[in-house]
Amino acid sequence: MRLELGNFYVKDIVFGEETSYSNGILTINKEEALKVVMEDEHITDADLHIVKPGDRVRLVPVKEAIEPRVRVDGGPVFPGVTGDLMQAGNGRTHALKDCSVLVVGKHWGGFQDGLIDMSGEGAKYTYYSQLKNIVLVADTDEEFEKREQQKKNRVLRWAGMRLAEYIGSCVKDLEPEELEVFELEPIVKRIKQENDLPSVVLVLQFQSQMEELGYNDLVYGWDTNRMLPTFMHPNEILDGAVISGSFMPSSSKWSTYDIQNFPVIRRLYKEHGKTLNFLGVIASNLNVALDQKERSALLVAQIAKSLGADGAIVAEEGYGNPDADFIACIVALEDAGIKTVGLTPECTGRDGRSQPLVTMDPKADAIVSTGDVSQLIELPPMETVIGELESLARDGFAGGWWGDEVLGPSVREDGSIIMENNSMFCGDQVVGWSTKTVKEF
Amino acid sequence: MKKAILYINQFFGQIGGEEEADFAPEIREGLVGPAIELQKQLGEDIKVTHTIICGDNYMGSNTEEAVNTILGFLEDKEFDIFFAGPAFRAGRYGVACGNIGKAVSEKFNVPVISSMNEENPGVEMFRKDIYIFKGGKSAAAMREDIKKMADFGKKIVKGETLLSAEEEGYFGRGLRRQVWLDPPVTAADRVVDMLLKKLNGEPFKTELPIPPVDTVPIAPPIKDLSKATIAIVTSGGIVPVDNPDRIQSASATRWGKYDISNMERLEAGVFKTIHAGFDPMVANQNPNVIVPLDALRAYEKEGKIGKVHEYFYTTVGTGTTQGEAARMAREIVEHLKEGQVDGVILVST
Repeated sequence: MRLELGNFYVKDIVFGEETSYSNGILTINKEEALKVVMEDEHITDADLHIVKPGDRVRLVPVKEAIEPRVRVDGGPVFPGVTGDLMQAGNGRTHALKDCSVLVVGKHWGGFQDGLIDMSGEGAKYTYYSQLKNIVLVADTDEEFEKREQQKKNRVLRWAGMRLAEYIGSCVKDLEPEELEVFELEPIVKRIKQENDLPSVVLVLQFQSQMEELGYNDLVYGWDTNRMLPTFMHPNEILDGAVISGSFMPSSSKWSTYDIQNFPVIRRLYKEHGKTLNFLGVIASNLNVALDQKERSALLVAQIAKSLGADGAIVAEEGYGNPDADFIACIVALEDAGIKTVGLTPECTGRDGRSQPLVTMDPKADAIVSTGDVSQLIELPPMETVIGELESLARDGFAGGWWGDEVLGPSVREDGSIIMENNSMFCGDQVVGWSTKTVKEF
Repeated sequence: MKKAILYINQFFGQIGGEEEADFAPEIREGLVGPAIELQKQLGEDIKVTHTIICGDNYMGSNTEEAVNTILGFLEDKEFDIFFAGPAFRAGRYGVACGNIGKAVSEKFNVPVISSMNEENPGVEMFRKDIYIFKGGKSAAAMREDIKKMADFGKKIVKGETLLSAEEEGYFGRGLRRQVWLDPPVTAADRVVDMLLKKLNGEPFKTELPIPPVDTVPIAPPIKDLSKATIAIVTSGGIVPVDNPDRIQSASATRWGKYDISNMERLEAGVFKTIHAGFDPMVANQNPNVIVPLDALRAYEKEGKIGKVHEYFYTTVGTGTTQGEAARMAREIVEHLKEGQVDGVILVST
């Protein structure tokens, strides 16, 4: 499988006559772009903003982030989601780099939504403050979940994907500034030099905790809750086969942008043929019932063993209940003789003194920690808020609250906020961007 | 100019050795013994205004009184930081530093810094409550240990960024917080590098150490239950309705022992639960659901068990630390041994 990613580095984004890309400048025809958004009759209101690093802007409730892309030979960027099913990970895809489409609710947020500050003290808590962002802020007629804490955010998330495809399409016929090639020979047909190196699999535990369809990550449009662990080519992950869901406190979530760019996959590719033999990805899940956790762990270990893996990296999308899957999977792999390293955020409580994972096992002796979801963060007011600041306190955000005896409400009258890291948009960057760790004090 | 106060024992307070270990607490203006070196190391920024001296045995056998006396000394003093020790490997001195340090930190909300050797029992008892720097075995390490305490004290007072326990050199307080790596290294690089090390058999260091599992081996079965004395111990908070031992409803440090030798069952209105971690309605209506005296009496009559021990033992499990729970258990075990108990039904809730 050979994926060519053609990259266009966006230096600035402006609104203009024609949606186009030239010399680092991405121009967006706002009216036309909004028309694409409004194709879904359930969108009742929509607007676009451009926000850049350093802007005195706070975004909340942020629901999703997507990298604008286009499949050069035709077909949807997200097969089985935004169009027909087709093989992802093969052929040529063009991407607008250093920018993302952010989807923000005009009013309503929920447990899974997050916050982004584009400047100031709060900027360091999310990856997206470093990007130039096209912000879709919109409302829908999804009355059934308007006041629900758990939201599927279906209409807004799909609008974001349509918008990302629309913007991405402007570089379809252009020559990219950089061409990255991702190619792995079939496992049993690799050269001696690769075969002689330690073989490694990457186990991705996608978020799948909700029994009801519509909340979980999708693999080729298929709900991960209804999936058994399966072997995937890393190119499929990098090329739109998996999209993010709408469940789990935001900081530990993987946005679709995160999945499209997956830094751990990129680093494993870099090492392939030099220090290790990258076999591929085992896509697993995080269902809540114990037998489902055990079944997934068994299958992951079996697939890894059958493929001849010597080593594995296990990454969980979330924390708490998923820690049980995370540890079970590491133990199953270690028991199968596969040397394993885990990748996860921690939850140590507001005082930092709680057990960092719900379950632990001495066999999990190698873990990289990407942050602490429960850390309190206090931030001053921001000049401009896109979305609705009150949602952080009102709508049951994982890291926001209406009232607290000691701390008061998350959103104060002057616009300053106090929240848990839990609601920093994809803040723990488990996909590999995180330069945070957790230490004992 | 910030102000500090130092706590030391009778020996370093130049009162005397073991024969003076019952010396009652005193506070003196200015510098005594190690306070002189501490002042030297603190330099211009912090002035050590007082030295408190107390005998190790006095603190050990009259802890509450000694602590209260010292807290009384401090009530009208202005101070920004409190030091205790260094205590090296001296066990009683370490525990004294911990006791007074914890009390001062809780009452006056000031940072407390001590130093002990890793084998000092005070380390495990108080590392979660105060900063305890990793110290030498004996007073030969005095200067070095005081320097570490003073340097960290200056850092706190100046509002400098405090690094992790390992980087600063104190025993970790069981408190984990996120930090940004400097220089930054992404998690993608860290996880692949760690895997390569693990694969190549090179040493690697996990970022989330898994604490050793403290499992207790399962006891061998009782050979003849019909001759055995059985006791009930519970963390379900069943107490006489007036809770005579003032056991806390959460984060308990106290436990109770209550006579049931003349009872067939625990009556509602006589016993209740004070546990804050569950809905108490059912247990209050029938305390036997947690302390199953009624069932054990029936077994006793049927001859299934020899007899029911004269007392039951009780505390509250919610929020109670493992350390406190283990201490209470060790204390309760002494009573069980005295009563020649063969088996215990441990009821959790």
